[in-house]
Amino acid sequence: MASIEIRQARKAYGTFEVLHGVSIDIPDGEFVILVGPSGCGKSTLLRMIAGLETISSGEIAIGNLVVNDLPPKKRDIAMVFQSYALYPHMTVAENMGFSLKLARRSKAEIDQKVGEAADILGLRPLLARKPAQLSGGQRQRVAMGRAIVRDPAVFLFDEPLSNLDAQLRVQMRSEIKALHQRLKTTTVYVTHDQVEAMTMADRIVVMNDGKVEQVGAPLELFDRPANLFVARFIGSPSMNMLDGRIESINGVTTFVSGGFSLPLADSSTGAGEEVVLGFRPEHLSLATPDSTAQLKAEVVVMEPTGTETLLNVTADGHSFLALFRERLEVRSGDEIMLSIDPSNVHLFSKLTGKRL
Amino acid sequence: MMTIAVPNTATRPKLWQRLSFANKTDLVTRILIIAITVALLFYILLPVYWMLKSSFQPNQEIRVLPPIWFPSEATAQPYTNANRLIPMWRYVLNSLFVSVTAAAISTVIACSASYVLARFRFPGATIILGLILLTNLIPAITRVFPIYFFIQDLGLLNSYAGLILAYVGFSLPFAVLMLRGYFISAAPPELEEAALIDGCSHFEAFWRVILPVCLPGIAAVAIFTFLNAWNDFLWASLLLNQGEMKTIQVGIGDFAQEGGGVQYVNAFMAACVVATIPALVVFVFVQRWLVGGLTAGSVKT
Repeated sequence: MASIEIRQARKAYGTFEVLHGVSIDIPDGEFVILVGPSGCGKSTLLRMIAGLETISSGEIAIGNLVVNDLPPKKRDIAMVFQSYALYPHMTVAENMGFSLKLARRSKAEIDQKVGEAADILGLRPLLARKPAQLSGGQRQRVAMGRAIVRDPAVFLFDEPLSNLDAQLRVQMRSEIKALHQRLKTTTVYVTHDQVEAMTMADRIVVMNDGKVEQVGAPLELFDRPANLFVARFIGSPSMNMLDGRIESINGVTTFVSGGFSLPLADSSTGAGEEVVLGFRPEHLSLATPDSTAQLKAEVVVMEPTGTETLLNVTADGHSFLALFRERLEVRSGDEIMLSIDPSNVHLFSKLTGKRL
Repeated sequence: MMTIAVPNTATRPKLWQRLSFANKTDLVTRILIIAITVALLFYILLPVYWMLKSSFQPNQEIRVLPPIWFPSEATAQPYTNANRLIPMWRYVLNSLFVSVTAAAISTVIACSASYVLARFRFPGATIILGLILLTNLIPAITRVFPIYFFIQDLGLLNSYAGLILAYVGFSLPFAVLMLRGYFISAAPPELEEAALIDGCSHFEAFWRVILPVCLPGIAAVAIFTFLNAWNDFLWASLLLNQGEMKTIQVGIGDFAQEGGGVQYVNAFMAACVVATIPALVVFVFVQRWLVGGLTAGSVKT
């Protein structure tokens, strides 16, 4: 077990810099997820921790040991790849025991460790098979088994679930989380799926364009996104955004956009500032006659999922998503009145994108 | 119900579809295909059969007209005769030695070269690949004089080393190109990376993971190189044509000129059969690998 410190890590291919100085501290035993859109540098960062990519500048330390110049095998890490990367010419047992065999452990010890890992993952009956004879989910488990067997200081996962179907993905998600709770090994997990990040992580690192946008616990990011990017990225369906301005109306700090105005609970933002108002689809509700801020909207598409109803609406030329717990009797083309809960809105500076 | 209108021309099978094997219920087509196949087989196998049956016939029986298709009394005499007239087994051993060595050397070199070309990006990689491809575009015959004089300057004329060197040179371009494709398709980079993380050095990862995974492709290249060398006549006759060091192909060729083609036709045919067998045996045993190796990458498994 070990902590990981990443200090001002940069990665450049020639003159093209893909990571612009990333610093993250991961305490021992934490499950950290790097999340971001494709090309944001999350996988590159993971591969730099693994030693599969060189570090252009900055420092990465695992367990207080700077590993910049150490080959992967000396970093005491295990990695699960998106494509699983199982050795096709070895059986499941050989795949799992390969690292121990390389470390010249005794046959008895290898058998014992492989057996233990196989029991944890339910792979006992498959030990004699070759990877080609396994299903996607089973291969995924073998890849994890190969990592567990080594009892490494750090687990690295590179989008391990993206090749699985939706149902299996949900199942493996909880299996990986349960595994972490059991082994308590420091884990760095890369995904582009924010749902995966929200459900599994102790802490999430949101990355974009080679930079860290925000680091925090899942609900912290959800409730207080530091900037527009995080606000848009975290949460599904994603947050609605509306451009507007802060004005003082009758002494009340109010958000104004076209014909819509919303008195704000928080008056710290100065009048005249150009802002972006963010509100989550679930914080829209059907207006009652005494609702203060009402929004007249036309239903474009209704998507009932059974537990929820998602409405795609347009109002004032903007399109929004609205999520209701209850079932609604509306059709596309219907006009409805929506209201926004002022205590659940987020204000961002239009200029900097930062939270106000 | 919504229907999608499809233009009539699109529903009608294309010419190639109508002619292909897909329409197996068409009896006439099937008979035609079988007939063509049989005719082709006959065309290909007739000379081989002629060689085989002649090698068991007395000389006078071979020259009779109309030809005798089935030996009246098969005899192994031509084989002992051939071995008496030329050092046949010595020639076979020479061929085996030269071919196996050339195949081994070029496979080892091709493995390393093609793995580097498949896995690493470095300045000049494209140029190297282009040059390798270019060597395949030069007609073989134009290389005769430069290579002959080159081997001569090295002092390797009439030595096994000279011929092996030439064979290795000839087979490398194809071997490298083919193996490179095989490495790309059969051994994705993650496989090596997984091995590195599991505790391998770069070489160990190559040796313990990449090579075993790519064995069918490597075997295909080795066999291909072996067969090329075994079947070669041109270079062997130029570079190694003296005494007992000749390869079997050159030995037989010389035997034909020294009277084998006229006086000892059956012994000559027997020597030809002997020269064919090793290649045939190799091919029969490994043809599944060979075909699999040559087509690897075309279909994702």
